[in-house]
Amino acid sequence: MSRPVSSSDEHAPPAIARAWPGTLDAEVFETLFRECGADVHAYAISLLGDRSAAEDVTALAFERLYRSRARLDHRRGTPRAWLFAIARNAALDELRRRRREPRYELEDELAADRDCAEALEHVERRATVRDALARLPLREREVVLLKFHGQLSNGELARALGISESNAGTRLHRALIRLREHCLQIDRQEVA
Amino acid sequence: MRIIPFPGRDDAGPDVGLDEIWLSDLEAALNGSGESPDADSWRQLRDDVRALAPPMAPELERKLGERIVERDARSASKQPHRRSGWWRSPGRLRAAAAVAAIAAVTGAVVIAGPWRAGTRPIEAPSNPPATSSSAGRAESSGVSAPRGATHAARGAAGEPSASASAGAASNAPAFNGVAAPPGRVQQLAASITLAATPNDVQETADRVSRLAVSDGGFVQSSHVQVQQRGTSEANVALSLPSAKLGGALASLGQLAPVRAESQSLQDITNAYDAARQRLADATAERQALLRALSKATTEGQIGGLHERISQNRNAIAQARSSLQAVSQHASTAEVEVTVLGDAHTASEGLTLHRGLHDAGRVLVVTLVVLLVAAAILVPLALLIVVLVTARRMWLRYQREHILDTR
Repeated sequence: MSRPVSSSDEHAPPAIARAWPGTLDAEVFETLFRECGADVHAYAISLLGDRSAAEDVTALAFERLYRSRARLDHRRGTPRAWLFAIARNAALDELRRRRREPRYELEDELAADRDCAEALEHVERRATVRDALARLPLREREVVLLKFHGQLSNGELARALGISESNAGTRLHRALIRLREHCLQIDRQEVA
Repeated sequence: MRIIPFPGRDDAGPDVGLDEIWLSDLEAALNGSGESPDADSWRQLRDDVRALAPPMAPELERKLGERIVERDARSASKQPHRRSGWWRSPGRLRAAAAVAAIAAVTGAVVIAGPWRAGTRPIEAPSNPPATSSSAGRAESSGVSAPRGATHAARGAAGEPSASASAGAASNAPAFNGVAAPPGRVQQLAASITLAATPNDVQETADRVSRLAVSDGGFVQSSHVQVQQRGTSEANVALSLPSAKLGGALASLGQLAPVRAESQSLQDITNAYDAARQRLADATAERQALLRALSKATTEGQIGGLHERISQNRNAIAQARSSLQAVSQHASTAEVEVTVLGDAHTASEGLTLHRGLHDAGRVLVVTLVVLLVAAAILVPLALLIVVLVTARRMWLRYQREHILDTR
């Protein structure tokens, strides 16, 4: 089986995840996993901050999608949107079960990134984004993560959140504005 | 100095209203269609956010992959069975289930409905009643009530009498919807005319006879006249237990369309009382004669008393016979059944009128059954829907709540 790849790595929208395949049979499901598995996992770990919990959520999301494949309705979004809506519910259920603050385990990953000999400026920018994300309230952080990891349209984002499209746009707008504020604030603190 | 190339169209903060252009620019940038410094910044921000998440662990990747391959194999084994079926669509499956349920209910109603009673075969009685035993049959007739004198007469006579023939008035059946008054002895009779096809006259007459026997009665007389052309006719005189007259008439009405029906009632309490009194008097006279005989001393007296006792014995037998005849009238009802074999009448009655009648009854009963089923199922379904909806809303509230508490 092919390795799951992040869709942004290829800079092209995933074929099956974006277009309704008609039926979600095993072959389509495998392709969906290949195209979206990494993104779902990235979304879950970014939201939960816990690798093992993210793994559970990823597995659970695909499991639930497979179980509910008969109820999938193409009028209500693409398989990718369905998948991320399921993953969001699973992640929130996981948070509810744990009843504790999500640990943010991205520090080590960033250190590993540093070892890749990328430019210092590039690394520092990501550190700023990471810190700014960590300062966001969970409700706003999940909108940003769904938008960027899930690569969902505003309509799909609205369906995943269970709110209207305009409300989803407003929420995304506010979250990104606040993210920018935090980024600028962190930047100013570093300069000072 | 860190470089945060963040698009800055709106500097007013999060409290300003939604900027549609801002959002569409964002969508265009993330889709790769926007070509501007701002679009580049959005894409860079997206890549930065995505790069923060560590890649999936190879172990998880392998496990999930295996699980999907396993599902692939499992579903592949089921595919030939499921692929070509129209029932794969859940909507069609539900519709088919609903149609099947309605068909099943309708079928059950049609098969087990009450209008089928008219066509069910009449079972032959296992123990046909003996027509000579009027007392035994009258025992179950429940017609009219004997009074205190009757019991006295029975005691005097020393054998079954009118009281054994007639039951309590409280058990008497209603005739034409009117119950017999207590203490009254009544004689019932009825006549009914059935319409049948000329070919069915004989069969209908036979079914009438079997019905009489199955109801505990018997056929007094029967006359069937079948003609190749013209009107065929059958006349059957039945003697039925009075208690079963109503049910028997209803059963007769289900054998064929009823063209005419009449019922009559005659109060025979006076005749019954007179017969009973005669028996009591004769019995009392016998007692007196026997007492006188025991005291007689001369041959002349003894001879005269023997002669009177002999006459009295005849009088008692006559009175008992009379009383039994009256009781017989009270416990049995005579029914005259006429079966007319008229092609025109039969076709009209059987095909059009009766067909419409039966169709109407089928529809009414079907609707009633569906209504009763709906009265049970709809509230149940509503309750389930409410519970499921409440559970979903609660789950959603819990999920949203967790976002606000962090």
